[in-house]
Amino acid sequence: MDWNLLGLSFVMVFISELGDKSQLAAIALSGSSKSLRAVFLGSSAALLLASFLGVVLGEGVSHLLPLQFVKAIAAIGFAGMGLRLLWPVEAP
Amino acid sequence: MEYLSASEPLTSNPEIPNSKPAAVLQTEAPKTENFQDSIVRLSSLAELPQPSPKQNRQAELRIFLSTFFTIFLAELGDKTQVTTLLMSAESHAPWVVFAGAGTALVATSLIGVWLGCWLAKRVSARTLETATGGLLLLVSVLLLWDVVHL
Repeated sequence: MDWNLLGLSFVMVFISELGDKSQLAAIALSGSSKSLRAVFLGSSAALLLASFLGVVLGEGVSHLLPLQFVKAIAAIGFAGMGLRLLWPVEAP
Repeated sequence: MEYLSASEPLTSNPEIPNSKPAAVLQTEAPKTENFQDSIVRLSSLAELPQPSPKQNRQAELRIFLSTFFTIFLAELGDKTQVTTLLMSAESHAPWVVFAGAGTALVATSLIGVWLGCWLAKRVSARTLETATGGLLLLVSVLLLWDVVHL
């Protein structure tokens, strides 16, 4: 086990992920929903699977998936959740 | 004949066997039938097939799935994924990189959830809903920014 590499990858990913949009999403989703466990498990599983695909597929991930399309779907999903939260505030 | 039409929505529920609502309705048949009574009976029957633990689990599963899919789609091709794939390609030890990146990601999402929980205790529900709605819109704008500049 290469502890140096393990520590390096941990620190790099940890720092680049702090305050990133997925963490903002985790903050927002856990603040608005009742089940913290579900949000934590969902976001951890999603991040693990995404980085697992990154490790396994390597560069192939950008060839296999139309990333712009995928990200646009995610953007629509987040916008939908945000609007659903804001809607009852705007329409009393 | 009115009873039959009232029992229709109940028997259509797969969780209740056909005989059960009919039996309940029969025992209550001698009562005077007024609208409020039937509403109360219908609502109390409607609660029977959905015990609260099961509802909780369904809600939890729904939260889990919506969180999972949105974050997974948002994170695909993100800079973290690019970092991990570059590091695993350079080092030829992909599993070590995955272990390091994975623990870091679990740690950051744990911090995120903990921060959200901490905020939820301090801020009023109305303010929190506005703030989280705005935050989710911000996330979607950041994602659209990625789409434009990818």
